[in-house]
Amino acid sequence: MKKIFFTALLILLCGLVSAQNAKVPENVTIKTIDGKTVETSVIKNNGKPMIISFWATWCKPCNRELNTIKELYEQWQEETEVKLVAISIDDSRSASKVKPHVDGNGWEYEIYLDQNQDFKRAMNVVNVPHTFLVNGNGEIVWQHTSFVEGDEEELYEKIKELINQ
Amino acid sequence: MKKHLFPFAILLAFPFVSNGQGILGGNVTGNFQIDGQTSKLDTVIGSRNLPEQMHLNARGDILYTNGNFSAGIRYEAYLNPLEGFRAEYAGQGIANYFVSYKTQDFAVTAGHFYEQFGNGLTLRSYEDRYLGIDNAIRGFNVLYRPYKGITLKGLIGQQRYFWESRGLVRGVDGEITINETFTALQEAKTRLTLGASFVSKYENGDGVNINSYVDGFKLNLPNNVASYALRMDLSHGGFNLSGEYARKGADPNDLNGYIYHKGEALWLNASYSQKGFSANLQAKRVDNMGFRSVRTDKYKETLYINYIPSITKQHTYAFLSMYPYQTQTSGEMGLQGDIIYNIKKGTLLGGKYGTDLHLNASAITALDRQGIYLPLVDSTMLDAPGSDGYTSKFFGTGDLYYADLSLEVAKKLSTKVKLTATYGYVIFNPVTEGHEGDLHHNHVAIADLTWKINRKNVLRFETEWMGSDSKYDANIDDKRCGDWIMGLVEYNFASAWFISLSDQYAYHDGIGNYYNISVGYTKNATRLQLGYGKQREGIICIGGVCRQVPACNGFSFSLTTSF
Repeated sequence: MKKIFFTALLILLCGLVSAQNAKVPENVTIKTIDGKTVETSVIKNNGKPMIISFWATWCKPCNRELNTIKELYEQWQEETEVKLVAISIDDSRSASKVKPHVDGNGWEYEIYLDQNQDFKRAMNVVNVPHTFLVNGNGEIVWQHTSFVEGDEEELYEKIKELINQ
Repeated sequence: MKKHLFPFAILLAFPFVSNGQGILGGNVTGNFQIDGQTSKLDTVIGSRNLPEQMHLNARGDILYTNGNFSAGIRYEAYLNPLEGFRAEYAGQGIANYFVSYKTQDFAVTAGHFYEQFGNGLTLRSYEDRYLGIDNAIRGFNVLYRPYKGITLKGLIGQQRYFWESRGLVRGVDGEITINETFTALQEAKTRLTLGASFVSKYENGDGVNINSYVDGFKLNLPNNVASYALRMDLSHGGFNLSGEYARKGADPNDLNGYIYHKGEALWLNASYSQKGFSANLQAKRVDNMGFRSVRTDKYKETLYINYIPSITKQHTYAFLSMYPYQTQTSGEMGLQGDIIYNIKKGTLLGGKYGTDLHLNASAITALDRQGIYLPLVDSTMLDAPGSDGYTSKFFGTGDLYYADLSLEVAKKLSTKVKLTATYGYVIFNPVTEGHEGDLHHNHVAIADLTWKINRKNVLRFETEWMGSDSKYDANIDDKRCGDWIMGLVEYNFASAWFISLSDQYAYHDGIGNYYNISVGYTKNATRLQLGYGKQREGIICIGGVCRQVPACNGFSFSLTTSF
């Protein structure tokens, strides 16, 4: 009974506090693609919008998403100054393949490794791909799970809505 | 009831840490997932009638963060566990809770936590909800950065075992990034990181009766077993070399048949990459390195302290992943290579939009294991309980466990049509799954075509073929044998919906016909999927997400949401 009471209370509290946009946590430890340990506070874009995309080398839809955006990225950056930060959740089985994978595919994104999946848990990512749109204050304004061709256009509309606010 | 006091302490702590702003000063986020299925008996695919008609797994995570403070709780319910999950999961309750305080240089977590030292050869506690793995450590985890580029970690706790915590694990880890610690090297092109870890487990061995190879003699079991590892990561421009070497003390357990052979593992990775091209080579040798906190545990997925990464490519197409390779912690040698090449657009082979090539090859073999002479019984024996078990030459190899070769060519044919063609060859040894039998040699060909009619209407066609020299044999009952063909059509519409139809059929020397229809709806971070049909056990990728599924014949649904 106690457990149920506790859970109910917690859910109630969520209702009280979830009115505001959740912020991207700043003190989760991740690694740069060069192996340097950093905190998630380094994920910044000078007050401009940011896309945070969780992916893995073995995830086909993730690769489709990042390859699709690759061809539009230059134009997106020119028009909106948006930055895409791709967080790899590959574990030690494939983490060493992340840099070759990124270079081989010619991606120009800012890449981080979340091998222990601490950032994935902190962002409540269940499945990859999971894409967040973050405003200049580090608040999550929109998120989307899964990818099919065409989803990138919805994402870009959300980015434009955000900068036109 | 004592264990339930902890979550209350978390709740009590909330107002104190929010600096007088009350709970409104923090962030509450979370996620929910509910998966259910019905199933009917089908002896061909191996599904059964569910006595309760329906099985359901559900969970919810709630996270609270406020500045440096965070706390979380997870409620899980298995009523009853989905097919493929252990019966011990049946029930519901709070499965995971923690409080954590973290600054730039210091972090402490009390409660359940996930941690990894290096590549995991000595310690990795992690969760994979689709595989039913959760070996979270419940205890204390501390991180301290005494100086730039230096990270020290320490932990103690017990591992999650379904609804209990078992064993006792202690560990420390240190890592130094040379270029950060020594200011003069900060801008150097060559970067070096070194690390070391030490992990030990305690389990009382006194009075535990396990027979040795000599009649009437019981084993003298160690109470403490230690392991350590050294690692490095060196990079220079596009070149990278990394590796880890681990050893483990005598650790007689159920997994290795109670032998005293010391454990050893070596993992190496070398890569070169530049924009549009990369090459990667991995090598691995594992010798009796299964490390778990309870020596008698028999399950494949519970109470592992360490993690031996499999180096074979993680294939996601149905027929290429039909025989996924499982790391043999008892011993194996392996080599794997990858080449990714992007043929530029405007060239003869690149065409108007460029072409992506991905070549992969791997081979894994057993160790070359020789029995040892045991004077007490005057004979040479392999894996005799209580003995050293075997000897093996470092570079010696035994039987082939697994080999694969695959070439994937991805090409955009027009602004609307994209084609991925794949050829693969897989050799699989049934011994790796614990059965006798001949090697399976499989050729696989796949065509995957996406046609974006317009923004709101996208069609995807996938067709796969597998030709195998294996034949279905009722005595072995490996349902993957034989020659297979598969077709899939997926229609995504209105930016949120998808419907897919698929069928896998054993047309020669095999049994089974797996048909499936799925409908899904995705809105922001919420996703609902309904399916009906026969599902093979394994990884499937559909409607934009990959996951592991158990054998099933009936309806299934899945709901996930994050907030």
